[in-house]
Amino acid sequence: MTTAPAVEERPAFGTGVARQPRRPIRGFVNLAASALVSGAVLYVAFFPAGPLPALGPSFNPATGAWTMAADAQITDRTLPLAGLEQPVRVVLEPNGTAHVTAQTDHDLFLATGYVHARFRLFQMDLMRRQGAGRLSEIVGKVAVPTDTFELQLGLLRTAQAEWNALPAGDPSRLGLIAYAQGVNDRIAEAESMHQLDAMFTLLGYRPQPWTPIDSLLIKGDMTQTLNFTDTPLVMALLNKSLGADLTSEWFPVLPANQQSPYDTGPYNKAAPTPIAPVVTSSLVTDAAAQSVAAVYDRLAALPAGLLARGGESNNWAVAGAKSASGGALLAGDPHLHLTLPAIWFQLTMDSPGYHAAGVSIPGTPVILIGHNQHIAWSLTDAQNQQTFFYLEKEDASHPGMYSWNGAWKAYTTVAYDVPVLGGATQHVTVKLSVHGPVISERGQTTSVWWAGNVPSQDLGVLLRVGQASNWSEFRAALRDWYSPTHNFVYADDVGNIGLISAGYYPQVAKGQPWLPMPGTGESDVVGTIPYDDIPQAYNPPDHIIWSANQREVTADYPYYIGTASNFFDPGYRADEIHRVLSQPGKLTASDMAALQTDTRDFLASEIAPVLLKSLDGVKLNATETAAVDLLRSWDYRMDADSPGATIWAYFWGWYVGETFDPWWKSRAVHIDMGEVYDALGQDLEAWTLHDPGNRAFSAPGVGSRTAVDAQRTAFHRVIADLAKQLGSNPKSWTWGRVHTRVLENLAQIAGLNYGPRPDRGDAYTPLAARGLRSTEGPSWRMVVDWGSRTFQGVYPGGQSENPSSSWYTNRVDTWWKGSLDPMLSADDATGGSGVKTWSLHP
Amino acid sequence: MVVVLSGVIVSLVGVLLGAWWIPFLAGAGIALVVGRPLIAIPAGAAVGLVSWLLPLAGIQVRYGLGATASSLAAIMGFDHRGAVPVILALLVGALLGVTGAWLAGAALTLARPSPR
Repeated sequence: MTTAPAVEERPAFGTGVARQPRRPIRGFVNLAASALVSGAVLYVAFFPAGPLPALGPSFNPATGAWTMAADAQITDRTLPLAGLEQPVRVVLEPNGTAHVTAQTDHDLFLATGYVHARFRLFQMDLMRRQGAGRLSEIVGKVAVPTDTFELQLGLLRTAQAEWNALPAGDPSRLGLIAYAQGVNDRIAEAESMHQLDAMFTLLGYRPQPWTPIDSLLIKGDMTQTLNFTDTPLVMALLNKSLGADLTSEWFPVLPANQQSPYDTGPYNKAAPTPIAPVVTSSLVTDAAAQSVAAVYDRLAALPAGLLARGGESNNWAVAGAKSASGGALLAGDPHLHLTLPAIWFQLTMDSPGYHAAGVSIPGTPVILIGHNQHIAWSLTDAQNQQTFFYLEKEDASHPGMYSWNGAWKAYTTVAYDVPVLGGATQHVTVKLSVHGPVISERGQTTSVWWAGNVPSQDLGVLLRVGQASNWSEFRAALRDWYSPTHNFVYADDVGNIGLISAGYYPQVAKGQPWLPMPGTGESDVVGTIPYDDIPQAYNPPDHIIWSANQREVTADYPYYIGTASNFFDPGYRADEIHRVLSQPGKLTASDMAALQTDTRDFLASEIAPVLLKSLDGVKLNATETAAVDLLRSWDYRMDADSPGATIWAYFWGWYVGETFDPWWKSRAVHIDMGEVYDALGQDLEAWTLHDPGNRAFSAPGVGSRTAVDAQRTAFHRVIADLAKQLGSNPKSWTWGRVHTRVLENLAQIAGLNYGPRPDRGDAYTPLAARGLRSTEGPSWRMVVDWGSRTFQGVYPGGQSENPSSSWYTNRVDTWWKGSLDPMLSADDATGGSGVKTWSLHP
Repeated sequence: MVVVLSGVIVSLVGVLLGAWWIPFLAGAGIALVVGRPLIAIPAGAAVGLVSWLLPLAGIQVRYGLGATASSLAAIMGFDHRGAVPVILALLVGALLGVTGAWLAGAALTLARPSPR
C-alpha cells in the first residue's frame, strides 16, 4: 500500500499537458489497490472462505464466538419465561446436574425444554438436522449423501406420522408442545442476548424454531443408531462369495458358542416353529448381488453411528434376597459412541404428575434411564432383527411399478428439497413400495422394511414408565414400546427385580429373513411376537438378572428373533456378569460399581489356557518364552498396565486371521472381515474348545491343520509382530501402550476431543472398549441400592456443550476412574455450596 | 484527535450493538474529514483496533478470556493456542479501520481538483 502518490506534488519536468495524466493514473491505481484490498478484507469478514468462518460476525467481540465466555458463567437468576403457568425452580448443582421443580406438568416440560436448550441447543439442532436430512444446509455438499439417505430411510416421515397420530389432549403431545415452547424461549433469549452457541456463529446460521416433530426426529436418530442394520446384505454377499455352505455353517441362527441368556423359559407357544438352518443353497442371483453390493457399499460409506454395529451395553439387577442392604440393586451402563457433549443430560424432573431422576437426551422431554420414588430402570439394546430387505420384482412393460401379491403396484413417491450450503439445492425423490423406501435401484431394486419406520410412541411410554410404581405398571407401560427393542431392567423399593425385552419382533410369513427376501408378497412381515411371549423374567429364583446385548433366550425359544452373526453380541460380557453375580454371598452397591468397570475378558479365560497347552513342548525363542510366562501369570484382565492383555488381544486377532484369512482370499470375499469378526470369533471359540479338527482350520493353501496348529502359527507370528512394534521385552508390552480411548467432539472438531488416553478394557469386557482406539463405551453408569435408597451415576463429559465452560468435561475424570457421583434429590441439592438457582416465572 | 476519538466512540457503540463492520465506515469517515491519508490510515487502524480491543478487554475483566480463546483456537485447528484468535480478532478490527480509511482517502484524492 502506498499513500504518497495521491497527494504528493512532484516537480514538473515536462509541460503542463504532459504532467496532468500522471496524477489521475496514480490516483486510479491507488483507488484500485485500496478497493481491491478493501474488497478482500470485507469478503473474508462477511463470508466464509475455505476453512475459515466469516471473520466479522465470528470474531466480533460483542456478539461473535467470544460470547462463549459469558455463556459459560452460571449465576443465580430470576427470569420470565413465556408460556409458564406457575413459577418454576431450577436448581443447578456444582457439577451441573439440573433439578426442575414445577407446579404443573406443562410447566415441567416447558422448563425442561428451556434447560436443555440453555446447555445443548447446538447439539439438539445437529441431531434434528441429521434426522431431517438438513445437514447439508449448514456444512455443504459433504453431507448430501447422508441427507439423501436419511430422507430415503424416512425418519422425517415417521416423526410426522407419530405426531399426527397423537390425539389432542394426549399427555405426551402436550408434553412435546410445552417442551418446544421452552426450547423456543431459550432460542429467543439467546438471540436477544447474543448468546447463541458459538457453533451457530461460526457456521453462520441461526436455529429455526423448535417443533414437537424435532423431538420425535431425535428419538428416530437413536432408533436408527441402535437397530438399523445391514446384516442381511452382509449375509447375502457372504452367501455369494464365501459360498452357501460355509455361510450356513459359520453364520448360524443360533450361536455356536455357549451363552448366558437371561430368559431360560419355559416359553409360550403351543406349537414351536423350528428354526431353519441359515442357507442351504445359493439363493442370491447376480442381479440381487449387484443391488445388495450397491446398498452395502452405500451404507458402508455413511458416517459412523448411522448404522447399528452391535452393542456393548450392560444392565443387571439383584433382588433384595441377595443384596447386603436387603433392598434390590440395579446397575446400568448403556454403551454408545462417546461424544462431547455427551448424548446424555442429567436432571431431576418434579411435578405433581411426574417425578423422575436420571438422564435424558437433549431434545426430548423425558428421563430415559433413571428412577422415581419406587422403581429404577435402565436399558440395553435387545439386538433382535428389525431390518428386512426386499428385492422388488419389476418389469420393463410396467415402468414405475413392482409386482406384489400377484398384481402390479405403482411406487408412491415423496419429493424433498435439500438445501446445500454453497451449492445448488438438491432434489431428492423417494420411492416407496409396500415394504418401505427403495434404497437402491442398481441391479435389482431393493427396498427396506425397518421397524423404526413404524410409528412408536416411545416418549409417551417413557412418561408412563416414569410414573410406574411397580412391575405391573412398568410392564404395562412398555407394551406400547415398538422400536428400538430394548432390554429394560427393573428393580423396585420392595425388593423385586425384572427384565423385559420390549419392542417389536417382526415375523415374516415365510422365507429367510437374514437375507434380502423377494418382495412379491410371500415373505412380508406379518406381525410380531405377542407381548406375553417376548423375552422377559420377573423375580428369577437365583435372584439375579442381566443383559449385555446377548441373545436373551435359549435355543428352545420358538420364534425367530435374529441370527447369531451381527445381531446379537457374542455373549462374553453377559458370561462375565453372570459369573460374578452368581457367586455365593450377598452383593452390595460397591460390587455393582466394580462390575461395571470389570476388565476380565471371559473369552480369554476360556482360550488362553488352551493356547498355553497347545504351546507345551513347542520350541520357543526367548521372547516367546517370556510372553508365555506372562500369559501364565495373567489374570485375564485387560488392564492398561498388563502385558498379558496385549499378548492375548493380539493373539486372538492373529488367530482369527490365521484361520479365516485364507478362506477370504481364496474365495474373494467382498465383506470386510472386521464386520463379522464377532461371529467368526464365536465359531473359533466353539471349535477351539470342542471341535479342534474343524475343516475351517484347513483352508485352501494351508494344508491339513487343527486348532492347535493354527494357534501355534498365530502365536509365533504375533510375538514377532509385537517385538517389532513394541521392542523385544514382552514385559514392556503393556495394554495401555497400544490401547486408547477418546471422547470425540460431536461436531468432529479434533481439537475439542478428550484424549486419546491409554485405557483398559476391550470389546468383551464389561467395561468395554472396542478396538485399539476406542470411541465407544459406557455412556452413563448408574447404580441404585433400594436398601439404602442411594442412587449414583456419572457420564463422560459435562452438562454444557460450550467448550469454554467448566461443565464441558468436568465429569470425565470421575467416570474414567470408575467412580460415581451421588444422584441427589432437588431438596438434597438445594442450599449446598456452589449451587445456583433459577427462578422462572410467567 | 477529536475525530479519532469520535471514530472510536461510534465504532465501539456499533461493535457492541453487533454492527462489527462499523470501524470500516468510521475509518472512511476519518479519511473524509481529515483528508490526509498519512494521518487517516493510521487513525483508522487505531479506531478499528480499539473498538474491537475494548470489548475483548471487557470480556477478560468480567469472565476471563483464556478458556474461550483456547477453545476457539482448537475449533480453528490451532491446538488450543489462545493467542491466535485474539490476534486474529484484533487484526480484523484494525484491517476494517485501515481499509475504510484507505479506500475513502484514495477516492477523495481522485475526486479533489488537481493542483495547477
